Amino acid sequence: MADEGPTQTLDRRKFLTVLGVTGGGAVALSGCSTSKVEKLVPYLVQSEDQVPGVPTWYASTCTECAGGCGVHVKTREGRAIKLEGNPDHPVNRGKLCSRGQASLQGLYNPGRIKSPMLRSGDSFAEISWDDAIARLATEVNKAAGRVAVLSGAGPGTFSDLLADWTSAAGGTMVRWEPIGHEPIRAASRAVFGIDEVPSHNFADARYIVSFGADFLDGWLSPMEDQRGFAASHGFDGDSARFVSFSPRRDLTGLNADEWHAVAPGSEALVALAMANVIGGAGAAGGSLSAYTPEAVAAQAGIPAASIVRVARAFAAARPSLAVAGGAGNQTRGAVELATAVHILNSVAGNVGRTVLFGSGPTLGDGYEGLARLMGAMDANQVGLLLVHDANPVYALPKSAGFAQRLAKVPFKVCTSLYLDETAAACDLLLPNHHALERWDDARPRPGVVGLMQPVMEPVFQTRHTGDVLLQASQKAGGALARFSAPSYETHLKDAWRSRATGDFDTFWIEALARGGIYPDASADGGSAAATASAPAAGTPALTAALPAFDGDGEFVLAPYPHPFLHDGRGSNRPWLLENPDPVTKLTWHSWIELSTATAERLDIRRGEIVRLISPHGELEAPAFPYPGLHDDVIAAPLGFGHTQYGQFAKDRGTNPLDLVGPPGNATFIPYVSTRVRLEKTGRFKELATTEGNPRQLGRGIAEAMPLDAARRGLTVRQAYIEAGHGKHEINTELEMEAIQGWRDETIEARKLGNYATEHPAWGMAIDLSRCTGCSACVTACYAENNIPTVGEDDVIRGREMTWIRIERYWEDPAPAAHGALDEAGGEHAAEGVTHGHPEARFIPMLCQHCENAPCEPVCPVYAAYHTADGLNGQVYNRCVGTRYCSNNCPYKVRYFNWYKYNERSWPEPLHLQLNPDVTVRGRGVMEKCTFCVQRIRGAQHQARVENRALRDGEFTTACAQACPSDAIVFGDMRDPDSRVAQIRSNPRGYHVLEDTNVRPAVTYLAKVLHPAEA
Amino acid sequence: MTRRLALFVGGAAVAGIAGVMAFGAPSRAQQAGPAVADSIASTYLAASDTADLRGPRQPIFFRHDLHAGQFKMQCQYCHYSVNVSPEPGIPSVETCMGCHAIVAGSDSGGRAEIRKLRQAWSEKKPIEWVRVHFLPRHVHFPHQVHVGAMGPNACATCHGDVSRMPQVFKVNNVNNMGWCISCHVERQVTRDCTACHY
Repeated sequence: MADEGPTQTLDRRKFLTVLGVTGGGAVALSGCSTSKVEKLVPYLVQSEDQVPGVPTWYASTCTECAGGCGVHVKTREGRAIKLEGNPDHPVNRGKLCSRGQASLQGLYNPGRIKSPMLRSGDSFAEISWDDAIARLATEVNKAAGRVAVLSGAGPGTFSDLLADWTSAAGGTMVRWEPIGHEPIRAASRAVFGIDEVPSHNFADARYIVSFGADFLDGWLSPMEDQRGFAASHGFDGDSARFVSFSPRRDLTGLNADEWHAVAPGSEALVALAMANVIGGAGAAGGSLSAYTPEAVAAQAGIPAASIVRVARAFAAARPSLAVAGGAGNQTRGAVELATAVHILNSVAGNVGRTVLFGSGPTLGDGYEGLARLMGAMDANQVGLLLVHDANPVYALPKSAGFAQRLAKVPFKVCTSLYLDETAAACDLLLPNHHALERWDDARPRPGVVGLMQPVMEPVFQTRHTGDVLLQASQKAGGALARFSAPSYETHLKDAWRSRATGDFDTFWIEALARGGIYPDASADGGSAAATASAPAAGTPALTAALPAFDGDGEFVLAPYPHPFLHDGRGSNRPWLLENPDPVTKLTWHSWIELSTATAERLDIRRGEIVRLISPHGELEAPAFPYPGLHDDVIAAPLGFGHTQYGQFAKDRGTNPLDLVGPPGNATFIPYVSTRVRLEKTGRFKELATTEGNPRQLGRGIAEAMPLDAARRGLTVRQAYIEAGHGKHEINTELEMEAIQGWRDETIEARKLGNYATEHPAWGMAIDLSRCTGCSACVTACYAENNIPTVGEDDVIRGREMTWIRIERYWEDPAPAAHGALDEAGGEHAAEGVTHGHPEARFIPMLCQHCENAPCEPVCPVYAAYHTADGLNGQVYNRCVGTRYCSNNCPYKVRYFNWYKYNERSWPEPLHLQLNPDVTVRGRGVMEKCTFCVQRIRGAQHQARVENRALRDGEFTTACAQACPSDAIVFGDMRDPDSRVAQIRSNPRGYHVLEDTNVRPAVTYLAKVLHPAEA
Repeated sequence: MTRRLALFVGGAAVAGIAGVMAFGAPSRAQQAGPAVADSIASTYLAASDTADLRGPRQPIFFRHDLHAGQFKMQCQYCHYSVNVSPEPGIPSVETCMGCHAIVAGSDSGGRAEIRKLRQAWSEKKPIEWVRVHFLPRHVHFPHQVHVGAMGPNACATCHGDVSRMPQVFKVNNVNNMGWCISCHVERQVTRDCTACHY
């Protein structure tokens, strides 16, 4: 690289060229041939922090959303191979969601722009960095004060520099995040006089009510909120109750104990009616008098008695917590909704306890700022537009007309890493480094500053935008000449000098190792509450009414952010496309959800392609009848329908934003603001779903028990018997006798060879009362175990390879939970735990490592066998692919390589992400969960070298490591003090398909159903 | 999980020879290893003579018999990570230059080879050695555990007496599973498939 500055010191890493055995690459089972010549290429200069064969970890900060989680990046031989949470970080405490983990596929994405490019005609031509920077400097001078910058970068030193630079260049900067939280901020201003989005303490809340806030799908601070929710809603002697009022049940809604399908836009009315019930009509300055439960019930379409009951329980539980504000509920009345919920929290005394001001996220300028910029572009007041870390051409509704206004700007510069829709419309592309390749920092919220450091040599000829700005400033001169730092790294360090206590170099190294500066995780929670003030609510003028919708179609369109693809920025990552949406279990393509009743009425079948028509456009997508939807609503995920953005995203599905009208004067994008008409096309598409039968059919896979039974320490079976629904006898006396004989023989047989000595017995416990179905474990497994993504066609054929999957079952409200309700009579009789709607049960399903594994005796070549330490081993190099094992597996957790996925799933440079500790399987080989045997063996080797015994919790599997709810625990069952052994003795523990007597090593703890209060 | 957290420290000095010398407990492996019939103890071999030697021809005629045999350098001096990592570590060019910046060779053959090394160093090109021992990629062989468990003879057990090999060749068929198993049977240690295959 010719550039000066930060990358210069990377030189030694350039020569990281790798030892043959570990040198990445999609390497299949290569047989034992020794005939080919392999090269051993050592380092030219040995890097002091890289030992071949041993991972090196770097602390960094995740930039995939505004949450600002701390991450640890695992590198091997100079390339990043996995991202895990930083256990010390107060935001995520060692956990990381799917999107954060898939940041790795952003780093190695084949769709990245590989060098600076300049438009020539309809395409781009590669240019050198020197030319690109000279051109930028010339154009900035030419624009002479008519420079504008649109940035999606979160708050931090870079944003500060960019803002300074922009104003020195005589322009304006707009900081914009598509799914911002402006309505909540506006409501905070109106109610409390604070210009801020609060943070929420889910962990302490004893009763949670959500009005469409998708806090388990990636709302404000996804990891923190999910951890808090698991702590309060998970069963630990007691559990908080969670009620959702929303037209659509998203993943958050599926975790609710009770769901009410309210009419779209009526959530604010329900919140005000609850406040009315709690505080009396006189509360909030007497403005609530109009919002009686009876009046609201008619508009929202739910029973008034339900509002009263939930409101009373909400007030009685202290503290409780109400949240609102997901993009999937963002109507034109979003500010009113957030205002109503602030009032509700205030009336119930939650502000300062579970609703905390002073520690909320720092937001951008909102759509208001972007609208101003678009006005300037329209009026030809922008001579040069620099777009950084934003893709407005895709993320805004087309009706907003950004692309047309962009075309009016004489010179457009884009620093995007990928050739997205906005970049494709620009003139000069200056690709930035990925977050894992650059120096940077982030201030996600007060008191937390995360640092980023390059963890590897840049994959492509990209350059840090900070360096580009500094270098262009020197070339441009004039007012910009004052940006004279030799590199962005120096600038960043200088910006940090004021934070140092004592010697800066020592402070800097400590901060880098810690991944930033933040309060200790142990002191978190309490401290957040302590620093937060409890402002008194003012008396805002309430004008909540049903919001207006464009058009006169039959249905209200509710586009919602996909849990993994979010606003579309995740759509170029195969892990996120193949990991099924937790709600619909669909992969790789877009869909349209309509309620099951609507589908039945219109005779629309699953997979039937339907056309939606709004005043602003139309689109076609296959239908997915979904029981968790209001009958008047049609929902569709955001994130599909890219026209650019690399091979994985381009031309994949359709984008519901094409139907949405322009935001107009709104300060936010009202996603839910359009009515649509539905037309049948008579065509069908086979859905790429990973769902089998959506019902358990009495198989007892994902079990649950009522709260009361769980409190009394009953087992699942006792709870069934008590509810008068005795399951059939598991293993009668006669059966037990037969089993015992067989078991004795097996134990005898295992006294030979390896099995003769004492070994650990690896096992796992999964608490279904904590599992929210978020699927972070699935992505972690993909990353750790080199699992190929198979693509849409092969998912349709059922050939996905996911070693751990989240199954989602629909269960009609359980009779056991119903019992008490029926007796109570009245309104409750008609209302189950989920208001008569089917209850969703999530269960992570992976190899159960059965003691009596049915897969083992049928393998003709002993590829499937039982190890002495209790693993159900799978030896790839023995496997000849008969697939008998898979046929004999009751859990269907064995996966067969039907094709050469090893050659096609990781197009360059994605293959650099492969974990060198795990064999990449070739065609014709059966594979499955190994309990991360490479981690077990690695930890055993380390303990051996250090001459000590393994310690409990010293290592864990990738899924357990990632789980943001801490639902999965792994360890040695034979050690009575281990966490897993203790959890396994919980009375809620059961085994899936226990009556097959396969004796699984995975114990599930039954979900706990929190019935409606009497 | 314990993690060794590294730092990206810009401009830090690259580990020099002093850092590398810190490795290595004394090992008598080279003296105690079994004699190898084909080894030639002569020190007067030049690159042109290597055609008759066993083992693949290397880009530089590096003499294990001189370094490990005559000079009695410990294996770990160059194979620096064998005690701590599954990978033994192949010395960086810098490690070679630690000595060969000064040591230029005593005969014309040796001088010619050292010139190649110095040229690689000045051109900043790593040396592409031809691999002699390798296992298929579905096998994981942790060097650090074996070196710890097998004591002084650890290296020679599989690699033979390289201290008598002018050019390294494969003495034992290490990529045959029988080689591993016979030793594991003899020593009564694990024969579990997933000990190595995963």
